[in-house]
Amino acid sequence: MHGVKRVGQSKEALGAKKQREQAKIKDYLALTDDLLSRKKDKDWSKEAFDLTTRLLQVNPEFYTIWNYRRSIMLNGLFPPSSPEEINSLLASELSMTTAALKAHPKVYWIWNHRQWCLENVPEGPGQDGADFHGWRKANWDRELYVVEKMLDADARNFLAWNYRRYVLASMPIQRPKVSELTYTTRKIETNFSNFSAWHQRSKVYTSLWDSGSLDPIKCQEEEFELVRNAMYTDPNDQSVWMYHRWLVGSGKLYITVGALRQLNSTAL
Amino acid sequence: MSDEATLQLPLLARVGHAQHCKICLQGLPSSQVDVDSARLALAFYCLGSLDLLNSLESRTNDFERQDWREWIWEQHTQGRYGTGFKPSSYMTPSHNLDNYTEFDAPHMITTYTALLSLSILKDDFSRLDRPGLLKFLRACQKDDGSFYTEPGQGGDSDIRTTYCAFAISSMLDDWSGIDVDRAIPYITACRTYEGGYGQSPFCEAQGGTTYCALASLYLAPSSSPIRGEPLTAQQRRQTIRWLVHNQGQSGGFHGRTEKEADACYCFWCGASLELLGAKDLVTTSALASFLARCQFKFGGIAKSPGEHPDPYHTYLSLAAISIHPPGPDTTTSTSWNIKPLDALINTTKETAEWARSHIPGQKIKS
Repeated sequence: MHGVKRVGQSKEALGAKKQREQAKIKDYLALTDDLLSRKKDKDWSKEAFDLTTRLLQVNPEFYTIWNYRRSIMLNGLFPPSSPEEINSLLASELSMTTAALKAHPKVYWIWNHRQWCLENVPEGPGQDGADFHGWRKANWDRELYVVEKMLDADARNFLAWNYRRYVLASMPIQRPKVSELTYTTRKIETNFSNFSAWHQRSKVYTSLWDSGSLDPIKCQEEEFELVRNAMYTDPNDQSVWMYHRWLVGSGKLYITVGALRQLNSTAL
Repeated sequence: MSDEATLQLPLLARVGHAQHCKICLQGLPSSQVDVDSARLALAFYCLGSLDLLNSLESRTNDFERQDWREWIWEQHTQGRYGTGFKPSSYMTPSHNLDNYTEFDAPHMITTYTALLSLSILKDDFSRLDRPGLLKFLRACQKDDGSFYTEPGQGGDSDIRTTYCAFAISSMLDDWSGIDVDRAIPYITACRTYEGGYGQSPFCEAQGGTTYCALASLYLAPSSSPIRGEPLTAQQRRQTIRWLVHNQGQSGGFHGRTEKEADACYCFWCGASLELLGAKDLVTTSALASFLARCQFKFGGIAKSPGEHPDPYHTYLSLAAISIHPPGPDTTTSTSWNIKPLDALINTTKETAEWARSHIPGQKIKS
């Protein structure tokens, strides 16, 4: 349901439009029927695979066709292929869906398909060390880059933020959590009203304080400074006030516990 | 002051909105192809709007209603994971109408909308496979307590499907299909410091999922540990605060902190406040004014002024008006009179009563 404003049109133009509509619908239904019968016959061929590409370009929400596409890969395309070929196939799946994401940034099924592709990247190219995870690392790193691009385009796309959290947690070689703090700083400084970034920040801090990697007391001064700046910049923005509430709420709890620990350790 | 206000609020264009929904029930242009895999949800928004406007009988005839009932029952499908309703016939081979495969499995959300749609159409539910439905619910529940959209580990899972599972169980008046004790911690884990509930743990609070969480908690059976008062007094205050702050200058509600107003959140947030017993905190005159401006010139209600309308936003706007009608100080026009709504399962009180008296059937031994 897109927000394109209507423009007045002539009778002829409307008639021609209607004809084009009917042709489109006819094509779509024919393609659906074709795929339906192929699926019934367990058609795992490249031809069927290419037909799913066509249909998904028209309708990326057609989730059962995504399922069928994955079945074709598992049953038809993967078995005769080497790990290298499989990696190559999955890499091209990922670039095909990158294009799809640009047009449809909020279609869950596209994100879901990418997830499946990433999780199926084979081990390799080599047998040990960094080489063992080589293909996976390359694909996951690229994934983080794709998510960043999506968040540049729409900083509040919560599917993208959710997916980002998933990627960070699933990468074969984990990034240090502090680097995520830096990322949220960057997003916030670009736009103080990006509550999603503030929200992510609160999650990262919670995790870092929980694990003892950062000292909440040391963090608080910097945080209050950041919050003060944001409040002065736009006092009407809800984001920073909400973050402030978190900071003096749960944030404060950590600080209090941290302060007690300090007291405890100096007393010993 | 009240004279000016009465003059200022436009009429609710009931006829146009009913017409919009009636047309969408009959067919959609190719630009809406992405709704193809959610037809039973769309049907609910259209039928629900006609129901709320009290226009179902006047705008549709017996044949049409019979036709729609039959089409919905065609989506009622059985298989190894139990019975439910598919989103539509788009992936069903014509030779295999009764048993589903992995490609045309029943769907949690459209099972919920199917039950409501059939209730609106006054079906007697003699065809409902109740034991099968319970089996389907069981097959969809995950270890973490939430529910998949499709049985046998298919599709996404989050608090929206969890709500649907609760609503279905409530309408069935049989909770043996879901493990409530496992589901409640999942719902609680979706709560954020903002006071609302996110779509899944770690997400920002959002209006729609806050409604799903609250409605689930309030629907939970009396046997469950949290029944009585699902939220502590402090939590309740915090949630009310977040919801109330979501009503912006425009009069409409936004769904997340610092986002734009959208007609659908007028329901999601508005209904949440009703469930929490705080509906008086909504500024109804401003709300009505916003929704009036979301009306499309040729019928239907859009997400915000100037956008294209759709049945989803039309239905939810009407539902919001039902819960929070503009007072006599704002308007004396009867165009704004909408049938009363059951905010827990999201349908008119009349339809909810029909559902609760026809869906349960005999008590099932499972």
